[in-house]
Amino acid sequence: MEQVADTTLVPGVRTGRSDRVPASPDATRSLPEPARRKHRTPWKAWLLFLLFAGPNVALLVLFTYKPLLQSLQYSTLQWNIGSPVAMPVGLQNYVDWFTDPTTPGIVGVTLVFTLATVGGGMVIGLVLALVLNRKLRGTGAARTIVVAPYVLSGVAVGLLWLFVFDPNFGVTAALLRLVGLASPDWYNDPQWALVMVIIVYLWKNVGYVALIYLAALQSVPRDLVEAASIDGASSVRSFRSIVLPLLGPTTFFLAITTLLTSLQSFDIIQAMTKGGPLGGTTTMMYQIYQEGFQSGRAGYSSAVATILFVVLLLVTFAQLKYVDRKVHY
Amino acid sequence: MSLRPKIDLDRRQLLQFTALFGGAAALAACSGPSVSSDVSGGAATEAATDWASVTPAKEITWWSNHPGASKPVEEELIRRFTAESGITVNLVTAGANYDEVAQKFQAATGTGNGPDVVVASDVWWFRYMINGQTLPMDELAEHLEFDTADYNETLYSDYQFKDAHWAVPYARSTPLFYYNKDVWAAAGLPDRSPETWDEFMEWAPKLAGGSVTPLGLGKGTSWAAWWFCNFLWGRGGAYSDEWTMTLDTPEAIDAAKFVQSMIFDDKVAAVAATDNVADFGAGLTGCTIGSTGSLTGILEAAKFEVGTGFLPAGPEGPACPTGGTGVAISSDRTPEQQLAAGMFLKFLTSTDSTAYFSSNTGYMPVRTSARDSDIMAEVYAKSPQFRTAVDQLETTRVQDWGRVFVPGGDKELTTALESIILQQGDPEQAFATASTAIQRSFEQNVEPYL
Repeated sequence: MEQVADTTLVPGVRTGRSDRVPASPDATRSLPEPARRKHRTPWKAWLLFLLFAGPNVALLVLFTYKPLLQSLQYSTLQWNIGSPVAMPVGLQNYVDWFTDPTTPGIVGVTLVFTLATVGGGMVIGLVLALVLNRKLRGTGAARTIVVAPYVLSGVAVGLLWLFVFDPNFGVTAALLRLVGLASPDWYNDPQWALVMVIIVYLWKNVGYVALIYLAALQSVPRDLVEAASIDGASSVRSFRSIVLPLLGPTTFFLAITTLLTSLQSFDIIQAMTKGGPLGGTTTMMYQIYQEGFQSGRAGYSSAVATILFVVLLLVTFAQLKYVDRKVHY
Repeated sequence: MSLRPKIDLDRRQLLQFTALFGGAAALAACSGPSVSSDVSGGAATEAATDWASVTPAKEITWWSNHPGASKPVEEELIRRFTAESGITVNLVTAGANYDEVAQKFQAATGTGNGPDVVVASDVWWFRYMINGQTLPMDELAEHLEFDTADYNETLYSDYQFKDAHWAVPYARSTPLFYYNKDVWAAAGLPDRSPETWDEFMEWAPKLAGGSVTPLGLGKGTSWAAWWFCNFLWGRGGAYSDEWTMTLDTPEAIDAAKFVQSMIFDDKVAAVAATDNVADFGAGLTGCTIGSTGSLTGILEAAKFEVGTGFLPAGPEGPACPTGGTGVAISSDRTPEQQLAAGMFLKFLTSTDSTAYFSSNTGYMPVRTSARDSDIMAEVYAKSPQFRTAVDQLETTRVQDWGRVFVPGGDKELTTALESIILQQGDPEQAFATASTAIQRSFEQNVEPYL
């Protein structure tokens, strides 16, 4: 038999570019029927896929998709957590949430907290990264100090800052007294309480943003910046026109990850204010906990969780779409 | 080059994949509570267990928050029980307070990983009961010959509903009036607590010297709505009459306005930033309302002599709620475990154990025989402050159902009270909002289950 052309393909072996590779003469002789070929080929690949991805998929199903689906189911129930029986109520929990007089306040707190922690974190993180990117003495120690709070437990951080903000004995009160000012009523004023948890959240998490930005800054090609400098661009101009656009993918990565983390923030609020005073630090995430475990309204709590899930999904999709359109790698 | 792995699935494979994982996920979702439009009668019943034929389990688990920093005391009581019965009790710190223990207990129900014995506070035992999570105690207590008649009647009947008792009293407390004797002496006041709030208002200007605030009050759930009972009841109001909210009455509004005027008009009271008891111990306030369970801690921490007294009375007379926690047996355990748990509760609330626990924590002795025991007599002689709570018990009454039996009731009342005492909010509006929410919670979370 004549040698077949190099373009003759056999199934079963895959490359990154195609399912098919040029065939050997032997292979062409045993070329099966096209219909059978289609069915026989993928089982090895499937086995490999299951072997590697199976455990991970199983864990995801068990610990992510199962609770997600259960939560969806519970959101249609009137269920006292702990009770073996629950009553179906359809979409009543959703109607209750959207018509509850406390909902606008909770949404407002969630928005302020999220915008302040994401926006503030990105700006401060970038500034810190720019400073830490300079080759100065002590930069290594400074980097460690900036990143260290990120690895601490949120509860420990919250408890520590409880003392710092104590209006009678705290460090902030002592510092403000030095300049003749009285300490804000951090714990009894809902607005100040929100400012307080935002400050603590930023302190704890800004190191993460700085770290990622720092890594990105170090991969900015120096020749571009030097070329701009030779052409007479000021450092501000070169930052605005060269560095910042090159940080685009990092910025959008951080925007998504910090937004998701911020909307799901719980530990600092639980340790410092427990959502109070007067609901001044009750975010949607904290409301899920309060309704589910303090008030025992598992169905209502699941409805809030589902709403938050949908919001997160929409925001993430919107951001990804924006990244595709606007960010140039 | 893209590093993204490529998996080419045809339509059939995609369907198989979807069916495999979708089916697994759907199956996974088929658990949790059973669904029915009739959820009534959820409380456990005393199954006809022939306790005499049951052999107690050799090991049980107790979930506690060690009220009043009582972990060493509880460990000692367990050691004594094990020495006497041979039954091991695993003491688990299941939370920092009653709420945290309750949250874990509710989440663990039905998993087989829950405790045999659990603390059941004044705002939680009823919810355990309607959810069917705890065992009615009466038949087991009768079999084990608990001397239930010796329990303080008010404290034992707190756990009664539907002709059954759902817990036995353990670390029971009342609010107490704590005062700084040094501040009192400097103000030239008699060494006692004010008999009425009107008398306190007469004394307050003398106490308001220097940086000391005369009265410190606390905020937060499981606390603000508890001490406010004193003002509310003392002026003839109540949170609710059984399941009907009564916060729209002139008496209730008057009570809120009185507290509000103490804080904002007369400026003789202030709400603590974090912990009113700690502020009192640090000398920032001249007096405060604290739990009897804080007594030992306050006596140890304060660098001044601490006086205790009854809560001041209102125009309608003295008024004091009871609080703290009882202990209950989980319904989700085997008869062997429940019998062992019952034996432990009998021991834990026996005369000797009660006296030991009370003398080391400041909680009230829940048994009359313990109250009158030699151990407590010694304690009263050494620290007369311990006697105050016991004597005050005569003025206590069972709490309003709207606060303690309705899920979220205490939280809604706390929000209303914080609006009143932190932001000078309108009491009528704050109470109306809370009442609406509590009434709705009752209709959704309690009424269908009864």
